[in-house]
Amino acid sequence: MSAREPKVVFERVSKTFPKKKEVLQVLQDIDLSVAEGEFVCLLGPSGCGKSTLLNIAGGFEEPTSGTVRIDGQLVDGPNARRVFVFQEYGIFPWASVWDNVVLGVRHRPRSEQHEIAQGVIDLVGLTGFEKAYPMELSGGMKQRVEVARALAVSPDVIYMDEPFGALDSLTRLTMRAELIRIWNTRKPTVLFVTHDVDEAIQIAERIVVFSARPGRVAGVVDVPLEHPRDLSSHAYADIKRELYGLLGVVQAV
Amino acid sequence: MNEFVLPSLLLVLSLGALPLVSRFRSGVRTFVMPTLVILATLFAWHLACAALGTRVFPSPMQTAAAFGELFESQRLLGDVVASLFRVTFGFLLAAGIGIPLGLVLGWSTRSFEALNPIIQGLRPISPIAWIPIAILWFGIGDGAGVFLIFLSTFFPVTVGTTAAVRNISLVHRRSALNFGVQGLELFRRVVLPAALPQIITSLRIALGVAWLVIVAAEMVGMDSGLGYLINDARNAGSRYDLVVATMIVIGAIGIVLDYLIRRLERFDEVRWGYVQR
Repeated sequence: MSAREPKVVFERVSKTFPKKKEVLQVLQDIDLSVAEGEFVCLLGPSGCGKSTLLNIAGGFEEPTSGTVRIDGQLVDGPNARRVFVFQEYGIFPWASVWDNVVLGVRHRPRSEQHEIAQGVIDLVGLTGFEKAYPMELSGGMKQRVEVARALAVSPDVIYMDEPFGALDSLTRLTMRAELIRIWNTRKPTVLFVTHDVDEAIQIAERIVVFSARPGRVAGVVDVPLEHPRDLSSHAYADIKRELYGLLGVVQAV
Repeated sequence: MNEFVLPSLLLVLSLGALPLVSRFRSGVRTFVMPTLVILATLFAWHLACAALGTRVFPSPMQTAAAFGELFESQRLLGDVVASLFRVTFGFLLAAGIGIPLGLVLGWSTRSFEALNPIIQGLRPISPIAWIPIAILWFGIGDGAGVFLIFLSTFFPVTVGTTAAVRNISLVHRRSALNFGVQGLELFRRVVLPAALPQIITSLRIALGVAWLVIVAAEMVGMDSGLGYLINDARNAGSRYDLVVATMIVIGAIGIVLDYLIRRLERFDEVRWGYVQR
């Protein structure tokens, strides 16, 4: 893992929001380095600032202090080299699946657009739904469109903000397996925000655990398990115990 | 006595049939039940006229005869065309200016801050209150009608479009930013299509208002159109049969206008805006 080049580097990133008379510290001194092609989960309770950190990395928000660099370049705004997969559906409901997917490659020649779009649509398993409109699709399929739209631009980094949060638990399992399959095909760098401990262990290579507000890195846990992962193995249970410990949550109910 | 017995019987029958018909499959139901209600209303109207023995207010039969007279005199068509012409031009003018203006106001906070107060100040003034000024500026005729319809539709369309743009979800704005959609392309690919369902709704409301206002305007300050026809029928010997027949024509055209504009809601590009989300 250490052989890989650092792709995304967070340096002492802090974020505060003004709130009436006081200031709300959301993130405090986040230092984090994500390698090229790595799949990293940001895990933490609601309101710990993990989504804010993602928005800062995406260029949608500015850090109060500190920097985010991608390939050594300072992030200073949104860019199609690093794309978001949103939780609430960010795909456009007024456009067909095809038109949504070609959004990021709309300036390329037609034949190239066609090749790219068909490639990613096939990859996410939506072949035959090119002309469908999002309202005709299930929640899981909409999220596949969103993933296809992101993959179409061959981004350096994909940010996923609880992308499966709105799906039912069975669809969520399928989508995780699909995401891993797709990630193995293209190997993009992925930063994946979740508050679901199991989700993090199932998909991530490395898990960054956040403390409650103000968000700080409480610990980093490697997941050295091969896919497909056995969810009932001892190693899985050990990692889970470690994560709950870092989160300060009692595991037994 | 017969003029009471038969209509009473039919009234009771048509109302009594309602619970029976309500069990039919929905295709039949949605057609038969409204028809029965309309028939019952006509019978009740007839009974009320007969019971009161009025000579001024027309019965359904007299109104039907007045329809014949209207069609024969060939006056109806001219007045319908006059009213529709004013509504169409005023409405298109308002949409042509109001939609682009609303898009700009919805997107640019500065233009909104500058223009919204004057728009909100002019909006509550009834278009009817403008009639004297409309006549002063345009004289009695189509110009004043088009102007009044423009006034009464411009505000709903502009305000509706502005609100539609301001309601575009943050996720869609961010998606657009993320994929580098900006400038005119942003309007064409995101702002306009995202706002379109709500824009169509505001057009629909505006057209309804236009059809209400044109009749009032023609009654007060014009010498043709359906509103003028109503006034003329009353002034020319209290022909209330013609008055009621014209009112029914106005209602029917209103239904057709609404039906036509609702067809816009069926396009794939906007259907998403009308389903439960």
